[in-house]
Amino acid sequence: MSLLEQRYRSVLRLLPASYRAEREEEMVDAFMELSGEVPDEANPRPRWGEIASVLSLSMRVRLGGAGASPRFVAWGEAVRLVALLGLGHQAVGSVIELLNWGHALAFGTHVAWTGPPGSLERLVSIAVSAAALCSAVAFVAIMRGHVRTAKITALIGVAPPLAYTVIPMLLVERPLSELATLVLTVAPVIALLMGFHSDVTPRRRSWTVTLSPAAVGLAVLGGTWLVVAVRPYDQDWPYLWLGFGTTILVWAAGAVVVLARRSSPSWALAMTATGLLLLAVRLPLLDNLPEGASWTMVCAQCAVLWVLSTALAWVGARGLPRASVAAAAETGPILREG
Amino acid sequence: MNITEPMFLAMTALVDEPRHGYGIVQEVDRLSEGHVQLKIGTLYGVLDRLSAAGLVELDREEAQNGRLRRYYRLTDDGAEALRDEAARMAATAQAATARLRARMAGGAA
Repeated sequence: MSLLEQRYRSVLRLLPASYRAEREEEMVDAFMELSGEVPDEANPRPRWGEIASVLSLSMRVRLGGAGASPRFVAWGEAVRLVALLGLGHQAVGSVIELLNWGHALAFGTHVAWTGPPGSLERLVSIAVSAAALCSAVAFVAIMRGHVRTAKITALIGVAPPLAYTVIPMLLVERPLSELATLVLTVAPVIALLMGFHSDVTPRRRSWTVTLSPAAVGLAVLGGTWLVVAVRPYDQDWPYLWLGFGTTILVWAAGAVVVLARRSSPSWALAMTATGLLLLAVRLPLLDNLPEGASWTMVCAQCAVLWVLSTALAWVGARGLPRASVAAAAETGPILREG
Repeated sequence: MNITEPMFLAMTALVDEPRHGYGIVQEVDRLSEGHVQLKIGTLYGVLDRLSAAGLVELDREEAQNGRLRRYYRLTDDGAEALRDEAARMAATAQAATARLRARMAGGAA
């Protein structure tokens, strides 16, 4: 075996074993024919373009592209669900922001923008808030099957928080919670970009499901006003169930439904991933709270996230189709002699 | 199914005879006059998609230098899809040409 062939076979290790079992020999044959005879003394290596094409193929196969084994199809579905759940969460945030703007306009109250009126800082603050609304547009677009629009608007929506968090992080030391919040914001967008690849035919979901974040946003805002109205002045812990706390509550309810209904492994895995992301954001809060009712409440929230995420991971892993090469060869690439 | 340029060219390469991986790469290069040079990873992504859609299928397998060589052929469904796509592209090209002619005629007037 020549050095170039050895190196190309190493590159092909980027591909899943089941795919290699089916394709490796003919890919090597095609590559070696394309490259021609190259002596080992020339220290030949596969070109970067070839490596990139194998990497791209690997990503697509691992995320349920054409020719992928059922196990990878399930993983791909899980990644797409992470995108939908994450963007749905961001869309709820956008709706709440819109409602707050509406309330401020209607009643002449103050909107929490930074900088004095007319200043550049105020302009940037408004632009950042407006960009955040793009997440809602991205959610609607992907739910209605418009992948390209969803990807562009999601990127616009995530750019300001990315810049706002990463730039200060590079300049001064920032708390770990900011990094976790950034990951929670960026992960669904990455899942969207990777999961909805060209092999995926996006589903067009009903308007009822598509507009559900608006209903959730209204409910959350109503609940928030209610808690603020009835809150006993000597207790802080009810606030821990507002905003992010409500997200944990809704996620936990969803997790119980997924576990109880024995949903597909993709749902269980997607809920695991989102649960762990929420846990990563909530956990650093324990460092900032004095011991007491609030600290215990955050502990309970983290425990709920951890226990349910672990249970979901177990159910998801057990429900995944077999990973063996033989299983993939039986049901994998639809290339059979015609 | 959205037929991309590499898919279109790979299908066109298989119209006259079954070809193996490198044969398709060569033919695509020739058909596109060197504009499209398929990488091997890209080629097999294209073949996966076309196979999954039933537009291309395995014709035969051969052993060459101790390595497996698979030949692919265009199915009847593939030929029909290619014909439809070619007609669509021809219509688009015709519309573009007509508009360009009109623009040139307007400029000359």
